[in-house]
Amino acid sequence: MKTPARVLADQVNQIQKSGRFSPRSASLPTWCPGCGYFGIHQGLNDCISSLEIPLTQIVTVSGIGCAGRYPFFSNTYGLHTVHGRALPAATGVKLGNPNLTVFAVGGDGDGLAIGGGHLPHIARRNINVNYLLFDNSIYGLTKGQPSPSSPMGTKTKASPYGTVDKPLNATLMALAYGASFVARLFAGDPKGITEALIEGVRNPGFSIFHIYTTCVTFDKNFKTWAHLKEWTHALPQDYDPTDLGRAFNEVLKDDFSLGVIFKRDA
Amino acid sequence: MPEVDFTVEVCGMAGDGTIAAGGLINEAMSHGGFSVLGFDSYPAEIRGFGRCVTNSRIGSNEIVALGEKTHALISLNDEQSRSRTPSLAEHSLVFFDSNPPAYVPEDSSLLSVLPPGAQVFGIPFGALAVGASGASRGRNLTALGGFAAVTGVDPNLFRKVIRDKFKSKGDRLVDINVKSFDAGYEYALEKFSDRLKKIFSKIETGHDPQKVMLSGNQAIGMAAIDAGLKLYFGYPITPATPIMEYLAKYLPEHGGQVVQMEDEISSIGAVLGSFYAGARSMTATSGPGFALMTELITHGVMAEIPAVILDAQRGGPATGLPTKTEQSDLHAAVFGGPGDSARIVIAPTNVEECYHFVIRSFQLAEKYQTPVIVLTDFFLHNRVENRPLIRATEGQAASWNVFPDEAFKDHYQRYADTPSGISPRALPGMQGFNFIATGLEHTEKGSPDYSPENHTKMSEKRHRKLRYSLKDLEKPAEFFASDHLDVGVIGWGSTFGSVLEAVEKSRKNGFKVGALKVTSIFPYHSETIGAFMAKSKRVLVPELNYEGQLANLIAHLDSKPVERLNFVTGTPIPPSAIQNRIEELLEVEAQ
Repeated sequence: MKTPARVLADQVNQIQKSGRFSPRSASLPTWCPGCGYFGIHQGLNDCISSLEIPLTQIVTVSGIGCAGRYPFFSNTYGLHTVHGRALPAATGVKLGNPNLTVFAVGGDGDGLAIGGGHLPHIARRNINVNYLLFDNSIYGLTKGQPSPSSPMGTKTKASPYGTVDKPLNATLMALAYGASFVARLFAGDPKGITEALIEGVRNPGFSIFHIYTTCVTFDKNFKTWAHLKEWTHALPQDYDPTDLGRAFNEVLKDDFSLGVIFKRDA
Repeated sequence: MPEVDFTVEVCGMAGDGTIAAGGLINEAMSHGGFSVLGFDSYPAEIRGFGRCVTNSRIGSNEIVALGEKTHALISLNDEQSRSRTPSLAEHSLVFFDSNPPAYVPEDSSLLSVLPPGAQVFGIPFGALAVGASGASRGRNLTALGGFAAVTGVDPNLFRKVIRDKFKSKGDRLVDINVKSFDAGYEYALEKFSDRLKKIFSKIETGHDPQKVMLSGNQAIGMAAIDAGLKLYFGYPITPATPIMEYLAKYLPEHGGQVVQMEDEISSIGAVLGSFYAGARSMTATSGPGFALMTELITHGVMAEIPAVILDAQRGGPATGLPTKTEQSDLHAAVFGGPGDSARIVIAPTNVEECYHFVIRSFQLAEKYQTPVIVLTDFFLHNRVENRPLIRATEGQAASWNVFPDEAFKDHYQRYADTPSGISPRALPGMQGFNFIATGLEHTEKGSPDYSPENHTKMSEKRHRKLRYSLKDLEKPAEFFASDHLDVGVIGWGSTFGSVLEAVEKSRKNGFKVGALKVTSIFPYHSETIGAFMAKSKRVLVPELNYEGQLANLIAHLDSKPVERLNFVTGTPIPPSAIQNRIEELLEVEAQ
C-alpha cells in the first residue's frame, strides 16, 4: 500500500523522467497536509512553465519561516538566507546579474515584522524582483504566535488574553511605498496566482503579490479555508488597475477583493 | 644632508580653510621630495561649531608614524590654537594673525599661553589677503606664504600645488590664490629678514613621480575600482562614508554602481546576493554597522558565499567616539555572530597596504567562499602618505573563483567535502548545476541535515578550508630580525608605524629589540608568531584598545605572559610611549 506522499513522489519522478518542463524539485515540500502554500507552489510553478523561463536562469530567494523553505521545493537556483533578509539579498542577486529572473518568497512575519524595513526601499528603488508575500497572519514554524497581520484579539500561547495591536495591511503598504505592480491573491486560487504572476514577471520593476493563505495547524479561527473562500471575491468589473487613487480607495474599503490592484503605466 | 624631521600643525575653526592649508603643505613638501605623513582631525559637530587641526610630519627619511612634538604651529584662530600649545617643541615657530578678524581678549589670546622660547611670527593674514585678492578668504594662503618664507621652502613648490588645486575652478581663482600666498611670503621675507630659518632649503632630494599623496580612503576606493568592483552597497557611517562618496563619484565611469541601502543589514545582504550571482561587490562600515552585519556574515560562512566587508574602526562601544581612532573591533571581526563561524580577517598597516589588501580581499573571498573582513581604522582612513604606489594590473586583480568541472553536471554537490575544504562553486545561469545556498546546516548536496555526523563533518570541512587559506594569507613580517631578542614587539593595523619607529629608536640606544608585523589576523600564522615570541625574552603588544584584543588572540602561543600596552585615547599611540615601555621592560630584565 503506497502512502499519498509516495504516490506524489512517483508522479514527480515520472514528470521529470518524461522531460517535461517542471520547476518542481525532487524533494517534496515539508508543509503540513492542507497548507495553503501548496496552492502558491502550484501557481508559481505554472507561471514558470508557461513563461518557459529556463530554470537555471531563475533564483528563488527566501528568508526564514515555513515559506523560507520554498527554494528547496523548487528546481531553480535558490538562496535561503536569514530571517527577514530575502529582499536585500534578492536586490543583490538581480543587480549582480540582471539576466536572472528573481523571485523572493516569505511569510508575514519575515516580510512585515523583522524584514518590514526593507519593503519600502526595494519598492522605491523599483528593483526588478517578484516578491510573493505568503500572508496567513500567524508564525507557523515557531508554532503559533501572533504576526503583524493578525487581527486584534488573536489568542495564541504567546497572547493568551488576545492581541491588542492593530494589524498591518500589506497591499495598502505596497501602494503607499510606490510599488510598480501590486496584486492581491488567494492560495485557494492557483490559477489566479499564475495569471497575476505572468503579468507581474513582465513588469520591469518591483512586483509584489500579497497572497492570503492558511495555516491549517495553528490558525483555526481567522484565515481558515472556509473563511477565505467565503470572504474573497474578484475586483469590481469596471476596476482600472492603472488608477492609483482608485486602488487606494478599493483597498481601504474592501480587504478581500482579489486581482491586480495596481500596475504603473509604462 | 642634514636630517629633517619636522612637524607642522594648522589649527582653526571649521570654515577657516584649515584642512585645505594642511593639504597644501603635504602636497608641496611631497613635491619637494620629502616623506610626508599627515592626519586631520575635525569635529563631529556640523560646520561652524568646531576646531579643525591638521598635523603633517615631514621627513628626509621615511616617516611611518605621526610626530609627537610640533615644530611649527599655524594659527588661523587663536582661541582654538590654545589647545595645541602643550605639544609644542622647544623653540617652536608660531604663526598667528596679527590683525585677526575678531577681537581676542587678552586672557584668551594664544600668546598668553605659549611656552617660553616659542618664536612668534605675527602676520596680518586677513589684511594681506584683502590686499592681494580683494577678500579675506585667502588668509589661509597668506599664512602658508609666511610659513614658507620663514622655514625656507621653495615658494615655487607652493605655487605649483596651489595652481593644481584651483585649476579646475578657473584662472581667476588660481591667480588670486597665488597672489595671496605671495603676499604672505613677501611680507614675511622682509619683516623677518633677520629671523629666517632655512629648515627645508638645504634639501636637494628630487620629487619621485611614483610617490602619490593618498589617504587610506582614496587607496581603498582605487583598489575597489582596480579590482573591477561591480556593486557597492553601503550606509553612511563615520569614518567609512568617504569610501562610498569616492565610489559614488568614480565607480559609474568604470561600469559599476553604488547603492545607498536602508541600513547595514541590507548592505551586507545585497553584497552576499550579488556575489552569489557572480558579481564582485563590497560594503564598508564602522563598529556599530558591523555589529548589525554579523548575522549575515555568519550566513556567508555557513552558505559559503563570498563577501568583502571593510570595518573602519572608531572608538566604541555603542556610538562611542565617532571621529576618534581605536582598534577595538578585533574581537567582533574575528568572533562576532552566532556559532562556530570562522572567517578571514586581514588588517593593513599603512595606506599602500590598504590598496593591496582590498584587491586581495576579493580574491580570497572568491577562492575560499567566505566573508573577508578588512579591518582598518579612522587613523588609517584619514591619514595621507606619499609612498610609491604600484597599482595592480588586471591579471593581479583577476578572479580566483573556483568553478565546478563539467563532469559534475547534473550530479553536482555544491558543498562537496574536498581535502582542502574548498568546494567548487557554481553560479546561477550554469546549466545542470542548480543548488540551494542555505544558512541551515546542510549535506554536501545542500539539503538541510541536522544529524550529529553531518554537523560534525561539515563544521570540520569549513574550518579545514579556513586553515587551508593560510597559504594565501600574508605571513607576519619581522623587522630587525635576530636569533634572540630582549624585547619583541608585535604590532598590527595603524599602530604598527609607531611600533617600528619605537623599536628603531631603542635599537639606536643599543638595545636588542625587534618588531613583528601581523597583518593576517584570522586565521593567523601561529608558528611564525609563536617562534617570534619564543625567541623574545619579553613580548610586548601595544594596541589602541582597553582589552588587548590581539594579545588575547595570540597570548596562548607561548608560555610566558605577554606584556600589554593599551591606550584608549582616541589618538594614535605615540612612538615614545612604546619606546619607554620597551626600555622599562629592559630595565626590569637587567635587575
